[in-house]
Amino acid sequence: MTPFARRGALVALGLVAALVWSNASAPASVDISVGIRYLSPTGTLADCSAKAKDSLNAFLAGSVESSPGSGEWLGESANGVAGTPTAMAAVRCYAMPKGYVVTFTCFAQLPDNPYTADALCKDVAHKFYGGTITALAAIPTPTPLPTGCATTNLLGTWTSDDNPKLTFTMDVNGDLTDSDGVSGNWGLKGDTVTLTYYGNHTLTLSSDGKHISGVGYHLTRKC
Amino acid sequence: MARTFLTRGAVAAVGLALAVGLAGRPAAAALDTVIGAQDVVKNEPLSSCNTKARSALGSALGKVYEMGDTGQWEGIGAIDAAGNSFAAAAIHCYPIDDVTGYLVTFTCATQSPPATESASVLCGKLAAAFGGQP
Repeated sequence: MTPFARRGALVALGLVAALVWSNASAPASVDISVGIRYLSPTGTLADCSAKAKDSLNAFLAGSVESSPGSGEWLGESANGVAGTPTAMAAVRCYAMPKGYVVTFTCFAQLPDNPYTADALCKDVAHKFYGGTITALAAIPTPTPLPTGCATTNLLGTWTSDDNPKLTFTMDVNGDLTDSDGVSGNWGLKGDTVTLTYYGNHTLTLSSDGKHISGVGYHLTRKC
Repeated sequence: MARTFLTRGAVAAVGLALAVGLAGRPAAAALDTVIGAQDVVKNEPLSSCNTKARSALGSALGKVYEMGDTGQWEGIGAIDAAGNSFAAAAIHCYPIDDVTGYLVTFTCATQSPPATESASVLCGKLAAAFGGQP
Protein backbone atom coordinates (compact mmCIF):
# COMPACT_ATOMS: atom_id res chain seq x y z
CA MET A 1 0.00 0.00 0.00
CA THR A 2 1.39 3.38 -0.92
CA PRO A 3 1.77 6.03 1.77
CA PHE A 4 -0.95 8.07 0.06
CA ALA A 5 -3.38 5.13 0.11
CA ARG A 6 -2.48 4.39 3.72
CA ARG A 7 -3.25 7.96 4.74
CA GLY A 8 -6.52 7.80 2.85
CA ALA A 9 -7.42 4.64 4.74
CA LEU A 10 -6.65 6.34 8.03
CA VAL A 11 -8.88 9.29 7.14
CA ALA A 12 -11.64 6.87 6.26
CA LEU A 13 -11.13 5.01 9.54
CA GLY A 14 -11.40 8.27 11.47
CA LEU A 15 -14.50 9.16 9.49
CA VAL A 16 -16.25 5.89 10.27
CA ALA A 17 -15.23 5.96 13.92
CA ALA A 18 -16.53 9.47 14.39
CA LEU A 19 -19.78 8.83 12.59
CA VAL A 20 -20.44 5.87 14.86
CA TRP A 21 -19.31 7.84 17.88
CA SER A 22 -21.47 10.84 17.12
CA ASN A 23 -24.48 8.56 17.73
CA ALA A 24 -27.14 10.85 16.24
CA SER A 25 -30.58 9.98 17.55
CA ALA A 26 -33.31 8.76 15.20
CA PRO A 27 -35.68 11.54 14.20
CA ALA A 28 -39.29 11.53 15.26
CA SER A 29 -42.14 11.64 12.79
CA VAL A 30 -45.44 13.51 12.45
CA ASP A 31 -48.57 11.49 13.18
CA ILE A 32 -51.89 12.90 11.92
CA SER A 33 -55.52 12.18 12.74
CA VAL A 34 -58.32 13.33 10.47
CA GLY A 35 -61.88 12.16 10.17
CA ILE A 36 -63.90 13.17 13.18
CA ARG A 37 -66.60 15.66 12.29
CA TYR A 38 -69.74 16.58 14.17
CA LEU A 39 -72.86 18.36 12.96
CA SER A 40 -74.94 20.03 15.63
CA PRO A 41 -78.49 20.88 14.48
CA THR A 42 -78.72 23.55 17.14
CA GLY A 43 -76.44 26.10 18.72
CA THR A 44 -74.40 29.05 17.52
CA LEU A 45 -70.81 29.60 16.52
CA ALA A 46 -70.22 31.01 19.99
CA ASP A 47 -71.58 27.80 21.54
CA CYS A 48 -69.23 25.76 19.37
CA SER A 49 -66.30 27.98 20.30
CA ALA A 50 -66.96 27.62 24.00
CA LYS A 51 -67.08 23.85 23.73
CA ALA A 52 -64.01 23.77 21.50
CA LYS A 53 -62.02 25.75 24.02
CA ASP A 54 -63.13 23.58 26.93
CA SER A 55 -62.46 20.36 25.05
CA LEU A 56 -58.95 21.38 24.10
CA ASN A 57 -58.15 22.67 27.57
CA ALA A 58 -59.18 19.32 29.05
CA PHE A 59 -56.22 17.60 27.41
CA LEU A 60 -53.76 20.24 26.26
CA ALA A 61 -51.86 23.03 27.92
CA GLY A 62 -53.92 25.90 26.59
CA SER A 63 -56.06 26.74 23.61
CA VAL A 64 -56.09 29.86 21.49
CA GLU A 65 -58.50 31.05 18.84
CA SER A 66 -56.71 31.71 15.55
CA SER A 67 -58.45 35.09 15.33
CA PRO A 68 -61.13 36.47 17.62
CA GLY A 69 -64.58 35.25 16.64
CA SER A 70 -63.29 32.85 13.99
CA GLY A 71 -64.41 29.75 15.87
CA GLU A 72 -61.11 28.07 14.98
CA TRP A 73 -59.12 26.82 17.94
CA LEU A 74 -55.69 25.29 18.38
CA GLY A 75 -54.35 23.62 21.51
CA GLU A 76 -50.82 22.49 22.28
CA SER A 77 -49.47 19.91 24.68
CA ALA A 78 -47.08 20.76 27.45
CA ASN A 79 -43.42 20.85 26.47
CA GLY A 80 -41.86 17.44 25.97
CA VAL A 81 -38.35 16.26 26.62
CA ALA A 82 -36.94 18.57 23.95
CA GLY A 83 -38.63 21.59 25.52
CA THR A 84 -41.28 22.03 22.83
CA PRO A 85 -44.89 20.80 22.48
CA THR A 86 -45.22 17.31 21.01
CA ALA A 87 -48.97 17.19 20.31
CA MET A 88 -51.50 19.64 18.96
CA ALA A 89 -55.19 19.61 18.13
CA ALA A 90 -57.26 21.90 15.95
CA VAL A 91 -61.01 22.26 16.47
CA ARG A 92 -62.66 24.30 13.75
CA CYS A 93 -66.25 25.50 14.00
CA TYR A 94 -68.40 26.78 11.17
CA ALA A 95 -71.88 28.22 11.57
CA MET A 96 -74.61 26.62 9.48
CA PRO A 97 -78.08 28.03 8.74
CA LYS A 98 -79.19 25.81 11.61
CA GLY A 99 -76.53 24.83 14.11
CA TYR A 100 -72.88 24.35 13.26
CA VAL A 101 -70.38 21.86 11.94
CA VAL A 102 -67.11 21.20 13.75
CA THR A 103 -64.03 19.27 12.63
CA PHE A 104 -61.19 17.80 14.64
CA THR A 105 -57.61 17.43 13.40
CA CYS A 106 -54.70 16.30 15.56
CA PHE A 107 -50.95 15.91 15.23
CA ALA A 108 -48.44 14.15 17.45
CA GLN A 109 -44.68 13.96 17.23
CA LEU A 110 -43.81 10.30 17.67
CA PRO A 111 -42.12 8.71 19.52
CA ASP A 112 -41.56 11.79 21.71
CA ASN A 113 -45.26 12.10 22.45
CA PRO A 114 -46.65 9.30 24.64
CA TYR A 115 -49.97 8.97 22.76
CA THR A 116 -51.05 9.03 19.13
CA ALA A 117 -52.87 11.73 17.22
CA ASP A 118 -55.88 9.42 16.98
CA ALA A 119 -56.04 8.99 20.75
CA LEU A 120 -55.90 12.73 21.28
CA CYS A 121 -58.54 13.51 18.66
CA LYS A 122 -60.94 10.90 20.05
CA ASP A 123 -60.69 12.35 23.51
CA VAL A 124 -61.07 15.95 22.38
CA ALA A 125 -64.05 15.05 20.19
CA HIS A 126 -65.69 12.95 22.89
CA LYS A 127 -65.25 15.74 25.37
CA PHE A 128 -66.94 18.05 22.87
CA TYR A 129 -70.02 16.01 22.01
CA GLY A 130 -70.00 13.23 24.57
CA GLY A 131 -68.41 9.79 24.56
CA THR A 132 -65.91 7.59 26.29
CA ILE A 133 -62.74 9.35 27.32
CA THR A 134 -59.54 7.38 27.70
CA ALA A 135 -56.85 8.82 29.92
CA LEU A 136 -53.84 10.07 27.99
CA ALA A 137 -50.36 9.41 29.30
CA ALA A 138 -48.61 12.39 30.82
CA ILE A 139 -46.14 14.25 28.63
CA PRO A 140 -42.60 13.43 29.82
CA THR A 141 -41.00 16.49 31.28
CA PRO A 142 -37.65 17.76 30.09
CA THR A 143 -34.87 15.97 31.89
CA PRO A 144 -32.77 18.46 33.80
CA LEU A 145 -29.10 18.25 32.96
CA PRO A 146 -26.82 17.08 35.72
CA THR A 147 -25.00 19.93 37.33
CA GLY A 148 -21.77 20.17 39.22
CA CYS A 149 -18.97 17.75 38.41
CA ALA A 150 -21.09 15.31 36.43
CA THR A 151 -19.21 12.56 34.62
CA THR A 152 -21.76 12.55 31.80
CA ASN A 153 -21.02 16.00 30.46
CA LEU A 154 -18.45 18.78 30.59
CA LEU A 155 -20.87 21.62 31.34
CA GLY A 156 -19.45 24.43 33.39
CA THR A 157 -16.34 26.52 33.72
CA TRP A 158 -12.89 24.98 33.52
CA THR A 159 -9.57 26.56 34.47
CA SER A 160 -6.21 25.63 33.01
CA ASP A 161 -3.93 24.23 35.71
CA ASP A 162 -0.93 25.58 33.79
CA ASN A 163 -2.37 29.06 33.28
CA PRO A 164 -5.07 30.05 35.80
CA LYS A 165 -5.97 33.09 33.67
CA LEU A 166 -7.13 30.76 30.91
CA THR A 167 -10.66 29.49 31.46
CA PHE A 168 -13.12 27.60 29.28
CA THR A 169 -16.90 27.72 29.39
CA MET A 170 -18.55 24.61 28.00
CA ASP A 171 -22.26 24.63 27.22
CA VAL A 172 -25.06 22.19 26.53
CA ASN A 173 -24.71 22.57 22.78
CA GLY A 174 -21.20 21.18 22.83
CA ASP A 175 -19.65 24.58 22.37
CA LEU A 176 -16.73 25.92 24.35
CA THR A 177 -15.44 29.46 24.66
CA ASP A 178 -12.19 30.44 26.29
CA SER A 179 -11.55 33.55 28.36
CA ASP A 180 -10.26 35.34 25.27
CA GLY A 181 -13.44 34.64 23.34
CA VAL A 182 -11.98 31.89 21.18
CA SER A 183 -14.54 29.19 20.49
CA GLY A 184 -14.36 25.46 19.91
CA ASN A 185 -16.26 22.29 20.65
CA TRP A 186 -16.26 19.52 23.18
CA GLY A 187 -17.34 15.90 23.10
CA LEU A 188 -17.44 13.16 25.70
CA LYS A 189 -17.71 9.41 25.25
CA GLY A 190 -17.21 7.45 28.43
CA ASP A 191 -14.24 9.19 30.00
CA THR A 192 -12.69 10.16 26.68
CA VAL A 193 -12.84 13.87 26.00
CA THR A 194 -12.48 15.39 22.56
CA LEU A 195 -11.68 19.07 22.44
CA THR A 196 -11.70 20.89 19.12
CA TYR A 197 -9.70 23.95 20.04
CA TYR A 198 -6.69 24.94 18.00
CA GLY A 199 -6.84 21.43 16.56
CA ASN A 200 -8.27 18.26 17.98
CA HIS A 201 -7.21 16.91 21.34
CA THR A 202 -8.09 13.61 22.94
CA LEU A 203 -8.04 13.90 26.72
CA THR A 204 -9.35 12.01 29.72
CA LEU A 205 -11.99 12.98 32.26
CA SER A 206 -11.22 11.98 35.82
CA SER A 207 -13.56 9.64 37.68
CA ASP A 208 -14.80 12.49 39.87
CA GLY A 209 -15.65 14.61 36.82
CA LYS A 210 -13.46 17.42 38.04
CA HIS A 211 -10.31 17.13 35.94
CA ILE A 212 -9.45 16.79 32.28
CA SER A 213 -5.93 15.80 31.43
CA GLY A 214 -3.86 14.83 28.44
CA VAL A 215 -1.12 16.05 26.18
CA GLY A 216 -0.96 19.84 26.42
CA TYR A 217 -4.05 20.30 28.58
CA HIS A 218 -4.76 19.97 32.28
CA LEU A 219 -8.06 21.54 33.28
CA THR A 220 -10.02 21.69 36.52
CA ARG A 221 -13.77 22.32 36.70
CA LYS A 222 -15.34 24.78 39.12
CA CYS A 223 -17.87 22.73 40.98
CA MET B 1 9.20 5.77 13.26
CA ALA B 2 7.89 8.32 15.75
CA ARG B 3 7.36 10.76 12.90
CA THR B 4 5.38 8.17 10.93
CA PHE B 5 3.22 7.46 13.96
CA LEU B 6 2.53 11.15 14.49
CA THR B 7 1.70 11.63 10.82
CA ARG B 8 -0.76 8.76 10.91
CA GLY B 9 -2.30 10.12 14.06
CA ALA B 10 -2.69 13.55 12.53
CA VAL B 11 -4.27 12.13 9.38
CA ALA B 12 -6.72 10.06 11.43
CA ALA B 13 -7.54 13.14 13.50
CA VAL B 14 -8.38 15.04 10.33
CA GLY B 15 -10.81 12.27 9.41
CA LEU B 16 -12.29 12.40 12.89
CA ALA B 17 -12.74 16.16 12.82
CA LEU B 18 -14.23 16.02 9.33
CA ALA B 19 -16.74 13.38 10.33
CA VAL B 20 -17.75 15.12 13.54
CA GLY B 21 -18.31 18.23 11.51
CA LEU B 22 -20.35 16.31 8.98
CA ALA B 23 -22.42 14.48 11.54
CA GLY B 24 -23.03 17.53 13.69
CA ARG B 25 -25.12 17.37 16.78
CA PRO B 26 -28.75 16.29 16.49
CA ALA B 27 -30.88 19.38 16.96
CA ALA B 28 -34.10 19.04 18.90
CA ALA B 29 -37.02 18.59 16.55
CA ALA B 30 -40.05 20.78 17.09
CA LEU B 31 -43.63 20.25 15.96
CA ASP B 32 -45.08 23.24 14.12
CA THR B 33 -48.83 23.37 13.51
CA VAL B 34 -51.00 25.99 11.89
CA ILE B 35 -54.67 26.57 11.27
CA GLY B 36 -54.67 27.41 7.60
CA ALA B 37 -57.25 29.02 5.38
CA GLN B 38 -60.98 28.51 5.61
CA ASP B 39 -63.05 29.29 2.55
CA VAL B 40 -66.58 28.92 1.27
CA VAL B 41 -66.76 28.16 -2.44
CA LYS B 42 -70.13 28.90 -3.99
CA ASN B 43 -71.79 27.19 -6.91
CA GLU B 44 -69.48 24.22 -7.00
CA PRO B 45 -70.34 20.66 -6.03
CA LEU B 46 -68.67 18.85 -3.14
CA SER B 47 -67.06 16.51 -5.64
CA SER B 48 -65.08 19.46 -6.94
CA CYS B 49 -63.68 20.06 -3.47
CA ASN B 50 -62.72 16.42 -3.18
CA THR B 51 -60.97 16.41 -6.52
CA LYS B 52 -59.06 19.59 -5.70
CA ALA B 53 -58.15 18.36 -2.21
CA ARG B 54 -56.74 15.13 -3.55
CA SER B 55 -54.73 16.94 -6.19
CA ALA B 56 -53.41 19.67 -3.87
CA LEU B 57 -52.31 17.22 -1.20
CA GLY B 58 -50.77 14.93 -3.78
CA SER B 59 -48.72 17.69 -5.33
CA ALA B 60 -47.60 19.21 -2.02
CA LEU B 61 -47.02 16.09 0.06
CA GLY B 62 -47.21 12.90 -2.00
CA LYS B 63 -49.40 10.41 -0.20
CA VAL B 64 -53.13 11.18 0.06
CA TYR B 65 -55.94 9.41 1.84
CA GLU B 66 -59.64 10.12 2.24
CA MET B 67 -61.18 9.07 5.51
CA GLY B 68 -63.91 6.87 4.13
CA ASP B 69 -66.22 8.78 1.82
CA THR B 70 -66.39 11.83 4.04
CA GLY B 71 -64.64 14.62 2.17
CA GLN B 72 -61.98 14.64 4.85
CA TRP B 73 -58.51 14.26 3.39
CA GLU B 74 -55.07 13.81 4.83
CA GLY B 75 -51.73 14.09 3.14
CA ILE B 76 -48.41 12.70 4.30
CA GLY B 77 -45.02 14.03 3.24
CA ALA B 78 -42.14 12.00 1.87
CA ILE B 79 -41.33 8.96 3.99
CA ASP B 80 -37.69 8.29 4.76
CA ALA B 81 -35.91 4.93 4.88
CA ALA B 82 -36.90 4.47 8.51
CA GLY B 83 -40.59 4.96 7.73
CA ASN B 84 -40.83 8.47 9.16
CA SER B 85 -42.57 11.45 7.63
CA PHE B 86 -42.07 15.02 8.76
CA ALA B 87 -45.02 16.86 7.22
CA ALA B 88 -48.75 16.25 7.21
CA ALA B 89 -51.88 18.19 6.37
CA ALA B 90 -55.64 17.88 6.42
CA ILE B 91 -58.22 19.30 4.04
CA HIS B 92 -61.82 19.13 5.14
CA CYS B 93 -64.61 19.54 2.57
CA TYR B 94 -68.17 20.04 3.77
CA PRO B 95 -71.27 20.81 1.70
CA ILE B 96 -73.04 24.12 2.27
CA ASP B 97 -76.53 23.78 0.87
CA ASP B 98 -77.65 27.40 1.03
CA VAL B 99 -74.91 28.53 -1.36
CA THR B 100 -74.87 25.32 -3.40
CA GLY B 101 -71.22 25.05 -2.57
CA TYR B 102 -68.87 23.85 0.09
CA LEU B 103 -66.70 24.79 3.04
CA VAL B 104 -63.02 23.91 2.79
CA THR B 105 -60.39 24.18 5.51
CA PHE B 106 -56.64 23.56 5.59
CA THR B 107 -54.69 22.43 8.67
CA CYS B 108 -50.97 21.62 8.56
CA ALA B 109 -48.03 20.38 10.62
CA THR B 110 -44.33 19.98 10.02
CA GLN B 111 -41.48 18.82 12.17
CA SER B 112 -38.34 20.89 11.86
CA PRO B 113 -35.69 19.66 11.59
CA PRO B 114 -35.63 17.77 9.29
CA ALA B 115 -38.55 19.46 7.50
CA THR B 116 -37.31 22.55 5.73
CA GLU B 117 -40.57 24.45 5.50
CA SER B 118 -42.96 25.62 8.18
CA ALA B 119 -46.53 24.47 8.61
CA SER B 120 -47.65 27.92 7.52
CA VAL B 121 -45.71 27.68 4.27
CA LEU B 122 -47.10 24.21 3.66
CA CYS B 123 -50.69 25.36 4.22
CA GLY B 124 -50.07 28.32 1.92
CA LYS B 125 -48.90 25.98 -0.82
CA LEU B 126 -51.93 23.76 -0.35
CA ALA B 127 -54.37 26.64 -0.48
CA ALA B 128 -52.68 28.00 -3.60
CA ALA B 129 -52.70 24.59 -5.27
CA PHE B 130 -56.34 24.10 -4.32
CA GLY B 131 -57.46 27.53 -5.44
CA GLY B 132 -55.43 27.49 -8.61
CA GLN B 133 -57.33 24.55 -10.01
CA PRO B 134 -60.19 25.03 -12.46
